[in-house]
Amino acid sequence: MSALEQANILGGRALREAWRTPEALAPTIFIPVFFLIVNFGQAGKIFPSDSTDFLYGQTYAAFQLPISLLLAASFGTAALYLVEEIEGGYFDKLRAAPVARSALVTGRLLAEGTKSLAITAILVVIALPFGVSIASGLVGFVLLLVLTSLWAVVFSGFMQLIALKTRSAAATNSGGLIFFPLLFLTPNFVPRDMLTRPMEIAATLNPVTYVMEALRALILQPLSWTPIIRGFGVVAVLGVLMVALNVRIIRTYD
Amino acid sequence: MTAAESELWEDNASVPDMTLAVEAERLVKQYRSRGDTVVDAVRGVDLRVTNGEVFGFLGPNGAGKSTTIRMLTTLLTITSGKAMVAGVDVAADPDAVRRRIGVALQEAGLDSRQTGRELLILQARLFGMSKEQSKTRADELLELVDLVDAADRRIKGYSGGMKRRLDLASALVHEPDVLFLDEPTTGLDPASRLTVWDELGRINERGTTIFLTTQYLEEADQLCDRIAIIDDGLIVREGTPDHLKTELQERRGLATEPTLDEVFLDATGRTRERIAGEVQEVSA
Repeated sequence: MSALEQANILGGRALREAWRTPEALAPTIFIPVFFLIVNFGQAGKIFPSDSTDFLYGQTYAAFQLPISLLLAASFGTAALYLVEEIEGGYFDKLRAAPVARSALVTGRLLAEGTKSLAITAILVVIALPFGVSIASGLVGFVLLLVLTSLWAVVFSGFMQLIALKTRSAAATNSGGLIFFPLLFLTPNFVPRDMLTRPMEIAATLNPVTYVMEALRALILQPLSWTPIIRGFGVVAVLGVLMVALNVRIIRTYD
Repeated sequence: MTAAESELWEDNASVPDMTLAVEAERLVKQYRSRGDTVVDAVRGVDLRVTNGEVFGFLGPNGAGKSTTIRMLTTLLTITSGKAMVAGVDVAADPDAVRRRIGVALQEAGLDSRQTGRELLILQARLFGMSKEQSKTRADELLELVDLVDAADRRIKGYSGGMKRRLDLASALVHEPDVLFLDEPTTGLDPASRLTVWDELGRINERGTTIFLTTQYLEEADQLCDRIAIIDDGLIVREGTPDHLKTELQERRGLATEPTLDEVFLDATGRTRERIAGEVQEVSA
């Protein structure tokens, strides 16, 4: 059996696990929706759609939606369940089986990516009544789903690194908080060229910015390939890096 | 191990003895603590377990039992020395070892969100069985460990004894040559413990070698063909329970045959008073 088949089997189990713990899934949808509503409610009048160029005729909710999507994609539970398994001993049971070491870490990442596809679609549907539409059409919608779920894989990969290194639920939980500064060091309220110079520099150095801009391009404009390719490039590089680091750490796990 | 035995091992190093289920020579495990101090958890263990045996590995807390079993089951790297399990070099080909062993570690490590049946099917799939084969094998094992009625309930709701039996079953999905059990009955009530003993007897009758650690000496006396006692990372006694008792009786000139508890206390240099107040732990 190949490593991919094994990862698929372990991914299926992780999805079943997520399905059976809806209480863990609920905040993943509720909190991003909360942010969408609050941000739109607070700044919607400042940026009216008919006189704000960067909204391309849509409401400010469309500009805010990528933040909610990235937030939801960064609430993955893979690392927390992994550390729970490490602490409970089941991870050793899996390690003692003839399973490719890579499958032990990529199985959960696959599940996280799949879960994120569904959550992203749900969030887009929830955003529709706020005047949001996907200007890039069906292809753009599919790209939006894929890009968001790839980000979910990247961030879950990062969280799994903390879980594997520390083997502590508390440390893993705290590690997840790093996403908040990353999220706010982006052009999250206005486009990058409208930020103050220090913030613009910080946002330019922050990889999340490019994923956010790609998602924004997919929502607000007809297919605009430059930001989209840049966004996919960032998740591809970070994705390869995270998977490689996960595989490396599991191979030397004692 | 004597010098002659050691030489014999080196002579035959490239030809594994297929009558042995487990062979370890000068097995060492060292950990580095945060201050870069080296901690010797296992300091040179030699073991030979014959195919079909029930072998008991005893020792006080922190003596190196779990560390040794984790090295033999590929879960920990070996600092130095050599280990062969089911004729395969553990360090050189851990995946081949994993195909030949079953492992049930302390505290029944199970995924509590799955049902018993799902857990067994998953385990069988990971050992390369098809979906159909996995379902059939899960049914057989549920029958073996008497969990048919609870098979479709989430493991979260199982009692300690049921979890232990399921853990045992999951270690048996691929009919391993050697079954490693780390304190399989710790924390179980007497009835559940007897049930696990019965299961182990049945498994061993089918030809599976059992290597178990336990803190219960009457368990070792009851179940094991041979035992080894480890203390401070070294094997300090090895033999059949009867042989070890007789040896102590003769050496001490005792009027009655000693118990295995007394053998243990003698081997580890502990007294009942010292054990009662002792707190000793080595963590991985």
